[in-house]
Amino acid sequence: MKNLILRMLGQPTSKSSSDAKQRLKVLLVHDEIDLPPAKMEQMKVEILEVVARYVDVKEDQVTFKLNKSEGEVALVSSVPVRRVHARA
Amino acid sequence: MSECIVITSGKGGVGKTTTSANLAVALARTGHSVVCVDADIGLRNLDVILGLENRIVYDIVNVIEGECRLKQALIKDKRTKGLALLPAAQTRDKNAVTPDDMKRLVEDLKQEFDYVLIDCPAGIEQGFRNSVAGADRALIVTTPEVSAIRDADRIIGLVEAHELPEPELILNRYRPGMVSRGDMMSREDILEILAIPLIGIVPDHEDIITSANRGYPVAFDDESVVGAAFRRIARRVTGEAVPIPELHDETGFWSTFKKWMGIKSVQEMA
Repeated sequence: MKNLILRMLGQPTSKSSSDAKQRLKVLLVHDEIDLPPAKMEQMKVEILEVVARYVDVKEDQVTFKLNKSEGEVALVSSVPVRRVHARA
Repeated sequence: MSECIVITSGKGGVGKTTTSANLAVALARTGHSVVCVDADIGLRNLDVILGLENRIVYDIVNVIEGECRLKQALIKDKRTKGLALLPAAQTRDKNAVTPDDMKRLVEDLKQEFDYVLIDCPAGIEQGFRNSVAGADRALIVTTPEVSAIRDADRIIGLVEAHELPEPELILNRYRPGMVSRGDMMSREDILEILAIPLIGIVPDHEDIITSANRGYPVAFDDESVVGAAFRRIARRVTGEAVPIPELHDETGFWSTFKKWMGIKSVQEMA
């Protein structure tokens, strides 16, 4: 009954399909390249070490993930920068 | 030119057998001769979906082991011209048959029929290898769920590894109402992920259950929207250009009213 009233009031419903799609994309990429999370984390640390030599990275805001779209796997990373080192 | 088509999915319970049975019926109704092979040895079910379970005398393993002639094991469907079933064995397992056995069997069947449909068992082991061995083409059945699509992706890779051409996708148990509410992945979402051509969409519908209850495939039923979906897929399989229709949007006062009242409406995929 509560559900009926909510529906009549036009309450927004959940969008679980976007959760499904997102989870699936992550799953398929990891199935395909067979890279365990620990290795992924190690790669992230090593890449950030190199980047940090040149720019000051906001480390808590870094994102690092594998995406698959149209059959292609891509490593997608966002590395927000605080400032460029003076003598980069 | 005869063609052998394997219907596969990786995951169980997504509708491979129902799809095989209905495509076989629909292809036969377009005037082609069709044999439907149940490759799920040990868990035979295609006979039940087709309603032919009471007529089995010999099975695929009897044929392969030379205990009967191929013609003796084939069950002719009396409801339509040109349709036959080669049943699986129920008391044996997948190892009773090898990929080479299947290749020979398919070659023999192709002498007699325009289409040889193979209903592949779930999984990626021996049963799958047997099913793809003689196939010229693969159809992948999936449902709009994370687990089914994950397995479909894996199977697509395996099909291509067996040097079959790019497989085509049948999207089963589609619910347009849930898609428009954002609670089911859309055909676009799924095609973006699997990146293979779509050959048809089958709506989720009660007719599937009632037709399975009766052993009377819904593709025989000219009134059913699901039957029509299978008949369109069959025409696409034969190479006819039949567009895959867009779904009706479930909007407007009456459909909303009916939803409140609990009346289920599966949109005709016009």
